[in-house]
Amino acid sequence: MQESLETLREEILDRVAHCGSEPELDHLRVEYLGRKGRITLLLRGLREIPAEERPQAGEQLNRLRQLVEEQLEARLAELKAREKERILREERVDITLPGSRWERGQIHPLTLVMDEIIDVFLGMGFEIARGPDIEDDYHNFEALNMPKDHPARDMQDTFFVSQERVLRTHTSPVQIRVMESRKPPLQIIAPGAVYRHDDDATHSPMFHQVEGFMVDGHISFADLKGVLTHFIRRIFRAEIKVRFRPSFFPFTEPSAEIDIECMLCGGKGIPKDQQVCRVCRGSGWLEILGAGMIDPQVFRFVGYDPEKVSGFAFGMGVERIAMLKFGIEDIRLFFQNDIRFLRQFACL
Amino acid sequence: MKLTVHWLKEFVSFRGSPQKIAEALTMAGLEVESLVPLPAEGEGGNDWLIEISVTPNRGDCLGILGVAREIAALTGEHFRLPPTSPHAGDPTLKQVIDVKVMHPRLCPRYSARVVQSVRVAPSPSWMQSRLEACAIRSINNVVDVTNWVMLETGQPLHAFDLARLTSKRIVVRRAGAIKKFVTLDGIERQLAPEDLLICDGDAPTALAGIMGGEDSEVRTDTQSVLLESAHFDPLTIRRTAKRLGLHSEASHRFERGVDPEGTLYALDRAVFLLEKMAGGIPLKGVVDRRARQKGTKPILLRTEKVKGLLGIGLSPKETERILKSLGMKIQGRTKAGLKVMPPSFRRDLTREIDLIEELARLHSYDRIPSTLPLVQPGGGKVDAPLRWERKIRSFMVGEGLSEMVNLPFASSDMNRRFCGIWQGQRSPVAILNPLVQGDAEMRLSLIPGLAGNLGAHIAQKARGFRAFDLGKVFSLDPKGVPEERECLAGIIFGRRERKGLRVMEEPPLTLLDVKGLVEGILELAGVEQSTVWTIPDVPSCLHPGKAASLQFVDGSRMGYVGELHPDLCEELGLPSALIFELDIEGLVQYAPRQLTVRSLPRFPSVERDLSIVLEDGFPAQQIVSWIKEQFNHSLIEDVHVFDQYKGAPVPEGKKSLAYTISYRAKDRTLTDAEVNSLHRDLISRIGEVFGAQLRE
Repeated sequence: MQESLETLREEILDRVAHCGSEPELDHLRVEYLGRKGRITLLLRGLREIPAEERPQAGEQLNRLRQLVEEQLEARLAELKAREKERILREERVDITLPGSRWERGQIHPLTLVMDEIIDVFLGMGFEIARGPDIEDDYHNFEALNMPKDHPARDMQDTFFVSQERVLRTHTSPVQIRVMESRKPPLQIIAPGAVYRHDDDATHSPMFHQVEGFMVDGHISFADLKGVLTHFIRRIFRAEIKVRFRPSFFPFTEPSAEIDIECMLCGGKGIPKDQQVCRVCRGSGWLEILGAGMIDPQVFRFVGYDPEKVSGFAFGMGVERIAMLKFGIEDIRLFFQNDIRFLRQFACL
Repeated sequence: MKLTVHWLKEFVSFRGSPQKIAEALTMAGLEVESLVPLPAEGEGGNDWLIEISVTPNRGDCLGILGVAREIAALTGEHFRLPPTSPHAGDPTLKQVIDVKVMHPRLCPRYSARVVQSVRVAPSPSWMQSRLEACAIRSINNVVDVTNWVMLETGQPLHAFDLARLTSKRIVVRRAGAIKKFVTLDGIERQLAPEDLLICDGDAPTALAGIMGGEDSEVRTDTQSVLLESAHFDPLTIRRTAKRLGLHSEASHRFERGVDPEGTLYALDRAVFLLEKMAGGIPLKGVVDRRARQKGTKPILLRTEKVKGLLGIGLSPKETERILKSLGMKIQGRTKAGLKVMPPSFRRDLTREIDLIEELARLHSYDRIPSTLPLVQPGGGKVDAPLRWERKIRSFMVGEGLSEMVNLPFASSDMNRRFCGIWQGQRSPVAILNPLVQGDAEMRLSLIPGLAGNLGAHIAQKARGFRAFDLGKVFSLDPKGVPEERECLAGIIFGRRERKGLRVMEEPPLTLLDVKGLVEGILELAGVEQSTVWTIPDVPSCLHPGKAASLQFVDGSRMGYVGELHPDLCEELGLPSALIFELDIEGLVQYAPRQLTVRSLPRFPSVERDLSIVLEDGFPAQQIVSWIKEQFNHSLIEDVHVFDQYKGAPVPEGKKSLAYTISYRAKDRTLTDAEVNSLHRDLISRIGEVFGAQLRE
C-alpha cells in the first residue's frame, strides 16, 4: 500500500507537471479525483482495510488527494497565465504603422503672429480697440495732422471709396476714435487690416497692422523705448539688438523708427563672403516699428490739452514681422493660402 | 535724394569712412537707403553715391548743403558755403526785364538775374557724370548749372532764353482763362484756372515751380539768360503737379518747402558757375519781388517740458550746444527756458515740440534711457470679440477646416452672384481707383474668395478641400453709408480625410456635414435654441433643394448653408462644394451673457426608439417639434432623429424616420410598465396626427 501510493503520487505529479492544456488537466482531474477516479476508488476501498490500519491509510490517501488538488489548481493557474501571455503576444500591433486621426485644419500664420503680438501687449496691461476698414478722410488723415494736399499723404498710396472715404491706410485712425470717446489714462492696441495701392513681392494691397498707444499725465519718450524694447524682445528673442532712429510721421513728434539686427546675417550686413546680405541689403538692420510721441496737434483735434497729457503711439506691420520671423521672402504667399504653405505652421 | 561723398566734402570736412557718415546720417533721421561706390575717375580716390530717403518735413535736406549742415551739426566740423558771384544794386536791369507778381501769397518771392553772352555747349564731363550719378540728365552747360545749384542748395532755378521773352515783362499769375500750355517735354498740358503760371506778358512761359515751357527753353543759339529763383506756395504747386501727374525735381522741392531766404544765394551761385562754365557776363543787378512778411517770433523752449517729454533732462550747456549747431539763435534766457529762433531754412521748426525733437535727435535716441511706465488697471484681458474669434477658429480647425486670409476685393460679377448675408438687399461698395480694374468693389460675401481658394487647390490636384474665412464683408446701407460686418464662411469639398491606414472609405460630405458645422458654431455661441432654419428665400447661388437660411427667433437673418448651384459650378469651373456663411457679429450679440449650470439628474433615463413611415417630403423636425410642443409630456426629456431610410421594404415615395425618445422622472426611477404605456400612447397619437404608420 505504502509503496503503491508512493508510485501513484509520483505518477500523478509527473503527469500534472507535463500536462499542456486545460482540457487535458480536466481529464487528469476526472481520472484521479472523479467519481470513478483512482484516488476516489482508493478512498472508497478504505472500508476493506483492517480497522487499525484505516486511520493511517485514510490520512495518507487524503493527503494525496489534497496534494493532487493543489497541484491541479497550481498547474491550471500556470496554464491560464501562459495562455494569457500567448494571447497578449499574438495581439501585438505593429507600432511602426501610421497612427490614425482626422485631418486637422490650420490657423493662418498671420492670425498666429497677430495673436502673439496681441498677447504680449495684453500681458503689459493694454486693451484692444477696433475701427472700420472704410474710414473717413478726417480720421485717416486730417485728425492725424495730415491736411489735404500734405506731402505726407504721398507716403501712403490710398484707395478711395469716395471723395471723403478711403480704405484706411493705417490703423492709426483708431487712435483718434478712441481718444474722441474716452479720457486718459489709455493703453490701447488696435489690430486690423489696412490698405495701400501697391502690389509686389514685399507689398500687398491689403495687409495687417497693430497700432498701439498710451496716454496719461506723464508718459515720456523713455517710456516708449521701454515698452517697445520689451515687446521686441518678447516677439523675437531676449538678447536681440534694437536701435531707435529719428524719423518723421505727421502725427508724432519726436518720431522714431525702430530697427532690430538682421536675422539672416546677424547684423553683419556684409558677411565674410562679401555678399551683401539680401534681407537687410547690407545695413545689418531691419526696420520693424514706427513710433513717436503723439503730436500736440493730434491731442488738440481730439480735445485733449497737450499741456496736461502726453503719450506715445506706435504701429507695426504683421506681415513684415511674420516674414522676418520665418524667413518668408514673398508677401503674396500669405494671401495665396496654399494648404502646403499653411501646414508648415502647424507646430507654431 | 542722391548725392556723392566728394560733393559733400566740398562743404564739410569729415574724417571716417563713407560707411561711418552713412551710419551717422541714418541715426540722425536722414535714412541712408543705399551707399554704392562710383566708378573711379582720377583724383581723390573712389567717390561714393549716397541715397537718402528724405522725410517730407526735411525740405532743407533736398540740397547737399542741407545735408552738409546736418553733418557739421552732428560732428562739430566746420561748414562752408561754395563761392558766388554776388549781385549789387544796378538800375540797368530794369530796362532789360520787369517782373510783376499778381498773387504775392502764391509767390512770396521772385528773384532773377541776367547773364549775357553765354556760350551754350555741353558741360564738362566731370559735371555731367556727377549730375548723372545724382539722376539728373545732362542737357547743356546752362541748364546743367541750374540743376547743379538746385542739387547744392535745394532751391530750384529756371533759365529762360531772354531773347525769346518777347515782352520783357514777367508776370506771375493764375492760369485763369489760359487753358493750355506746352511744357518743355513737348507735352500739351490742360490747365486749371488756379494753376500758377510764369508769363511773358500775356503768354505763358512756365508752369510755376514745376516745369518750363518749350518756347523759352535755352538752346544752342541762346545768348542771354534770365535766371529765375523764386519761392512758391507749396500747396498750389502740389495741386497742379498732382493733377497733371507731373512730378519734377522742382515741384518735389517746392512742395516740401524751400528756404525763402535762399533765393538770392542760389542765384549768385548759379551766376558764378555760368561765368565759369559758359563764359557768361552777368549783369550786376537783381530783381527781387517780395511779399510783405509776418515777423517770426522766437519759440519758448521750457526745460521742464523737455524733461517731461523725453524722460531725461539735458544740461543747459548741452541744450544750447545742440540748438546752435543746428543754426538756431538763442534770443533770451529765462527761468523757464530759452527763447529760440530757428534758421530760415528749417521751415519745419515752428513749435516747442519741434525743438524738443531736435534735441532728442542730436543728443541721440540711444542715449535716452528705457523705462517702463506705470500701467493703469483696465486692460490686460482678451476682450469678447477676440475671445469669439479664437473660439471659432479653434472649432473650425478641429473640424478640419483651414483658415484663409483673402483680399477683400471682388468683381461686380462675383458680387452679383454671391451677395452674402444681405441676400441681395444691399449694393456693394465701389473703389474709385482699384488696383485691378476687374476687382473694383469690396466683397459682399466671403464665398468668392473661398471659391477661388478651392479652384486653386483643385488646380493643384487636391482631392478634398476644407477652408474657412473669418473676415469683414462690406455693403452700402439704405442711406448709402458703407457698413462692415464680421462674417464667418466655410467651404467643404470631397471627403473628410483621415490620416493612417485606409480602413474604409469615408462617405462623401453632404449638406448635413456643412449644417453640422453651423450647428457647432451655434452651440459654442449658446444660441442653438434661439435659431430656426427656413427653406424659402435661400440665396440664388445655392442648389434650391440643398440649401437653408438661418434666422433668429426674432426674424433677423443670420446666414445660410447649402450646396453651390450646379449651373454656377459649371460657369465657374468648380466642383460641387458645400458652403455656409454666418453673420458672426450679429450672432454673438444673442449669446447668453451668463452661464447657469444645472445639477445632474439623480435617476436614470429610459430610452425607446420609434420608427415610422411617412411621405418622402415630410420634414423630420416636425415630429420632434410636435412631441416637444404639442404632446409635451413632463416625463419626456429629449427627442431626436437618428435615422432616415428610403428603399425596400419602404414603399416608393415614402421614407422611414427613426427617433429616440428619452423618458426620465425627476423624483424616481421609471418602471418599464410606465414607460411602455406612455410610449404606446405617443405612437398612437403620432399615427393619428401625422397619418404615419409604425414600422416594425
